[in-house]
Parts: sequence; C-alpha cells; structure tokens
Amino acid sequence: MGERYFQHTFDNGLTLLAEKMPGMQSAAMTLLLPAGSSTDPVDRLGSATVLSDLVLRGAGSRDSRQLTDYLDGLGLQRSSSVGIHHSRFSCAALSEKVMQGVPVYADIVRRAHLPQPGFDAARNLALQALAGIDDEPRQKLLIKLREWHFPSPFGRSSMGKKDNLEKLTLELCKADYGRRYHARDAILAIAGNIDFETVKADVAKQFGDWNGSAATPLEIMPPPGNFHHEDQKSEQTHIGLAYESIQETDPDYYVLRLALEVLSGGMSGRLFTEIREKRALVYNVWAGYSSLKGYGSVLGYAGTSNDRAQATLDCFISELHRFTEGVSADELERAKTGLKASTIMQGESTSARAGAIAHDFFMRGRIRTLDEIKHEIDAVSLERVNAYLKQHKPGPFTIVTVGPKELKLPS
Amino acid sequence: MPLKFHYKQLPNGLDIVAEENADSHSFAAGLFVKTGSRDEDAPINGVSHFLEHMMFKGSDKYTWEDVNRIFDELGARYNAFTSQEMTAYYANVLPEFTERTIEHLAHLLRPSLRQSDFDTEKKVILEEIAMYLDDPGHRVYEKLMDVHFGNHPLSMSILGAAESIQKLKRDQMAEYFTRRYGPGNMVMAVTGRLDFDEIVKLAEKYMGSWPRVDAPRHQPEPMYKPQQIAMTDPKLNRMYTMGMTPGPSAQDDRRFAARVLADVIGDSDGSRFYWALVDNAIAEDADFGFYPHDACGSFYISLTTDPDRTQEALDIALKELNKAKNDLNEDEVERAKNKIASSLVLQGEVPLGRMRSIGGQWIYNKEYRSLEMDMETLMKVNRQSLQQLMRDYPFDPMTIVSLGPGEAKE
Repeated sequence: MGERYFQHTFDNGLTLLAEKMPGMQSAAMTLLLPAGSSTDPVDRLGSATVLSDLVLRGAGSRDSRQLTDYLDGLGLQRSSSVGIHHSRFSCAALSEKVMQGVPVYADIVRRAHLPQPGFDAARNLALQALAGIDDEPRQKLLIKLREWHFPSPFGRSSMGKKDNLEKLTLELCKADYGRRYHARDAILAIAGNIDFETVKADVAKQFGDWNGSAATPLEIMPPPGNFHHEDQKSEQTHIGLAYESIQETDPDYYVLRLALEVLSGGMSGRLFTEIREKRALVYNVWAGYSSLKGYGSVLGYAGTSNDRAQATLDCFISELHRFTEGVSADELERAKTGLKASTIMQGESTSARAGAIAHDFFMRGRIRTLDEIKHEIDAVSLERVNAYLKQHKPGPFTIVTVGPKELKLPS
Repeated sequence: MPLKFHYKQLPNGLDIVAEENADSHSFAAGLFVKTGSRDEDAPINGVSHFLEHMMFKGSDKYTWEDVNRIFDELGARYNAFTSQEMTAYYANVLPEFTERTIEHLAHLLRPSLRQSDFDTEKKVILEEIAMYLDDPGHRVYEKLMDVHFGNHPLSMSILGAAESIQKLKRDQMAEYFTRRYGPGNMVMAVTGRLDFDEIVKLAEKYMGSWPRVDAPRHQPEPMYKPQQIAMTDPKLNRMYTMGMTPGPSAQDDRRFAARVLADVIGDSDGSRFYWALVDNAIAEDADFGFYPHDACGSFYISLTTDPDRTQEALDIALKELNKAKNDLNEDEVERAKNKIASSLVLQGEVPLGRMRSIGGQWIYNKEYRSLEMDMETLMKVNRQSLQQLMRDYPFDPMTIVSLGPGEAKE
C-alpha cells in the first residue's frame, strides 16, 4: 500500500489503520466501535450515549479522576460521541503522547469500571441534554428530519428517548458493554508522524487478545412518513428537506458530490445565490450529502422568518427540480476546484486524516489515498454529471418543519 | 517545522505580517481591521457586522455574483467574522492561487456599497438576528455583555437590534467605512507556503493606493458593579446562566496565566467545574473561560441546568472560584498547560489557524509571537502566577444573567 498508508486486521476482527504524515509533530487517533444508536435495543434508545459517558468514569487501574487526570496530563485533546453506526473516541496531541494514551483507551473499551454513581450521573446528563432539544429549534429540526427520512433504526437520534432512558439500569448497561464493546468490526485509525511497525506492536499488545463477537442483524423498518410539522413558537421557521440518493460506494458518487457542490458548495452555489443573495429569504441555507452504510441521502436546511417560510420552501424545491436541467461547464469546474482543494487541505490535519481513513475503511474496506480521490474528481465529465442529473430526479421528498405554522407542501 | 516570520509596512501604512511554513500544502491570507461593534454609536449599532456582509457585494469592478464566483474558482475556504473589536476577511487556498487571492481580498475591502445591494442584504441581516433569537445561549450572552459593560462601548451588540438595523442608512455605513477601513487601522496576515517578497509586491500592487486612516478608539475605564438579572421565557425547558467578572486584557502579560486558570477551573473535561458540577450531573454544562479584550478583559461562567437546580449550581460555581484562590495545586496547573500546549501544536500545523492567531495578535499588540514564544511563555506559568492573578482579579464584582422558563417546569 506504499509508504504512507497502512492497514492490518487482527485475528479478533479489529482493524488498525495508519497514515504516516512526515513533518507533523502531532498525531491523532480515532477509535470506532460498532456501538452506534442503530444498535441500541429498541426499548433502550440512548443507551449507547449513556455507555459512552460511563466508560470514561474509571477503567483498568485508574478511577474516574485518575483516568481523566492522566489523559489531561498527556495534553490529549479528546472527544467522544455516538453516531448512527459507531461510538467514537478520538484524541490528538504530540505523537508520542497519543501513543501513551492508547493503553488507556484499551482500558476504557475493555476494562471500564462502570460504577453505579457514574451511571446515575451519565443517565441524568443524557436526560438533561434531551430536555434541551426543544430550546434549540434548529437542532430539533435536524433530529426530526433524520427520524422521518431514514428507515429505522438509521434515523434514530443518539440522544434517545425519555421513557427509555428512565428505565435504563446499570445492569442493562453492563450487559450492553459486553455485547457492543468488542474487537469484531472495531476500527482504530492513527495519523501523524508515526512508525507503523511500532504502532502495530503496541496495538497488538493492548488489543490483540480482545474478544470479538458477531454483530446481530438489524431489523429495518420504513420511516413513519414523508411529511411532518412540529408546532413551536420559534422566531424562525426551520425547514428540513431530504431525498434518497446513491450510496457512497456507487461509481457515480463523485458525480453526485460535484453536482451537490454546484447546488450548495460555496457562496456561488445555487441555493445561496437564489434563496439568500437574490431573494434575501434566509441567512442560513444548505444541502449536502449524508452517508450511511447502505443509504445515501441528500439533506437540506433553511431557516427563515415565519411569514417568508412558504416562499422559502417553494424556492428550495424549485431549485432542486431545476437540477434535472443540468449544470454548466463553469459551475462544474468551480465544483472540482473546490472539492480538490478541500481534499488537499485535509492533508494538513492529523485529526481530519485519522477520521477520514477510519470512515473510508468502514465504507469501503480500505483506505483511499488523497491522490486517488483527486483522480476520481478529475475523471468526472460534464456529460456524466448532466446525464446523471437527468436520470436521478430529486425526490420523493421528506419535508419536516419546526415553527408556529404548518406549510403547504408541494403536490 | 521551519516557521519563518516576516514583516513589512507599505508607504501608506499597511502592515503586512507573514509566517512562512515551507511544509504547508496551502496558503492563507486575511485582512484584519481594528473596528467592531465597540466603535459604533448607538444609532449605527450593527454597522460593522452589516458591512462585513456588504464587502461580499462587490467593488467598482465586480458584482456580488463575481465576488462569490471568483472565491469558488479559487477553491477557497473563505469567510469573515465580526467581533466587538475587529472584523476580518480571509481565505485559505492552494499556493498557486496566491496572487488571485490577494487581489480578490483587496476588492472585498473596497466595496461599492450599492443602494440596491444594501436594501437586499438588510433582510438577510434581519434573518440572522432572528436566527440568534432562537438560541438561548446567545440571548444570555448578549444581555450579559450589555449589563456587565453598562455605558462602556463593549456593551454594544455585534449584530445590533432589528430596530436599529431597520433604520440604518447606506450613507451612514459609507461614512463609517471611510473613517475606519484603511491602512493605519488594519493588517494583512499571511501564513503557510509563500514567498514574502512576492507577497509585498502584490500588496503594493493591489492595496498600495489605499488612503491611510486615523481611527482612534475610545478607551473609557469600565465601571463594574455587582448585579443579577433574571430573564424568563415560558417556552424554554432549561435554565441558561452566565456570569462575568473582570480579568486581564489582551495586552496584559497575565493573559497567559488567565488562559491556564480558565482551563484549570472550567475546561469541559477534568476541570474543577467538571468535577464539582458536571461529573455529578448537577449541571449539564459548566464552563469557566477567559475573554481578553482591548485594554480590559473578562472571565465568565456559563451554566446549563434544570431550572430547579440553577441556584445550587451557581452557588457551587462561585464557591469553587473562591476555593481555587486558596488550594490550587501544581499538578492541575501542569495538566492544563499540557492541554493548551497540544492545542497550540495542532493549530500551528494548519495555516488557517495560525493566520487567525497572528492577525488577531497584531490587531491587539502590533506584535508577532511565534509558536515557540507562546509555548515558552506558557511553560513559565505556574501556581504562583495563577495565585497572583486571582489576587489581582478576585472574581468580584460579578454580573449574573439567567434565562429560563420562570417557574420550574415538570
């Protein structure tokens, strides 16, 4: 795979990925575990979120405070989050400090203490976060849009449900930890000025004897419907739009990505030009690709004053329909330049690269080099984009609104 | 990382600061103007931010469509921001677009301010103001700055109120622009892969004819007094509370200690506030931070809580502040320094991050600080310097503003 990219899958199913970035002082690590909201038990939504907090409250030989103090002492910039597919633990710092942190992350995902007071607090915090959703209508809109667009369990919010969280117990969490924190399908990605063989030996020592178990198949259910309105006395009406599209692994993926750049890439994008610059209907409007394994979608958002919400929705949809007429050579050229530049600039950040190679492996089973991505972008012709747009008419739409008044939906 | 600093002032007074990094894949350039909401009078409040939008509406040569199209042709990551104290316009591009980027930024900063564009953009500004009204955290912050700074110019809102924006005239904006947006009150900061001689030539070519401005800033002494204000909005579920108290300024050498102290007390993880308030779920969020301003500064508390636990959380937060004055330990100071050092290294690897840092630094201090200098100063901070800082700034007086549903909800 060349001198820059490395990939190794251990017998237990854990995959180690690395990108060597000479000239960098920092390194970044991303650890993905197959414990996303889509694998929350159906009556315990939000449990992955509680667990991802709880596991940090003491692990291995360190209690909660010792663990945090130790990672802070290394200067690690840390984050953890729960997405649809994974629980994610990430950190970045000087490269040797990140490597010193790896054994602690092994403790966290393998030997967490899971104490009762920690559980009570983690669940309480999850309930508080849930109660805050109504206070921020824009955030609420994006949660509701996913819920109404994607088939269940892929539309779930990682924040869970109030009654489910209230019924959650420490015992259930402990069982869940055994069930979902395991080596099979876990991905550990490291980017920075590192030596792969050394990293591999370290990781083998920390994770090599970790058990793996097979994933339980998910039961897929259609979303509740296409249109939904949440009544709220907000200052603005928040509008969400979505439609199904091709998957990220489709050969036409960059055809679609470039078309979406034309729609909403920069300030010369069509949505920005037509809805904000010409009509001044919004401050914030965008559309972008959302990639789940097995599902590709286009999601869009606009926020506007309540009396202008109908005009904004109509204009948004008419721009999506205009898409089938194709894009111009100039538009495509700008889209290519923009997408290539952001790909190259991603190569300046170890955190961005660690996240990207982990995502690549999850989606495709391998790392793509930055050059490969650039070539794929270059290979897209205007004819291909316009043929694609003709064949793939946007829609049917899922439309969700949060605001004081329901809008008239397009027929 | 071979970082190299360069500085030059053009005959018209335009400062150019550069940090060259031959290892970078990209080039970043920003024009920073020392003007913001604190330099506005009440009748034109919001004009700096509105002007930031108008800069993208075109020069004598370009229309707004050209401005947006050209940025996208360069494949640029570009944006602008307005604070109380500065406005900045910047772009991050591949090095082959260096000249076009500087030329384009130069056009941005010589806007035509056409009446029709002004009228259209006013509606967008009003949408932006409405958007922030749906954000309780922002509402609390605006109110806090307003009451904490009272008659001091830092109390001015960045966005302005909808009413003052409605009334604002194009000519008032043009007059404000002429007065404050020129060499003598601005700096161009460039970072990443670059050739400094070329940068100077380009700046001369595209900005060399700009007239110098003399744009003084009023620096009245802030008059702080302890006060507590409760706002209610029955549609909210949660309680949002912020407190503000004096701290060192952006020019003060103690600002490094202040940043460390903010981390020790209020970082999102592993800080005193974390252990006293978030670990046990008394608060969902509990931050303590440091805002350095021009010639003055602030520390702030920010809490998100259940309405029935707000007072308890606030009492604990205030108690923790007082406790830190007496029982600070060496280990927690070292941990905070290590975290900040890592963030400096990570920021230093990305040209956009360094450009924003050195541009902002120049606006405040007319001084370049390398990453190594910042690192060295940071490493000299110790428990004693934090203790001295808390004697100098004892978290008193404190302004507290809260926003929540009023009566505790089920």
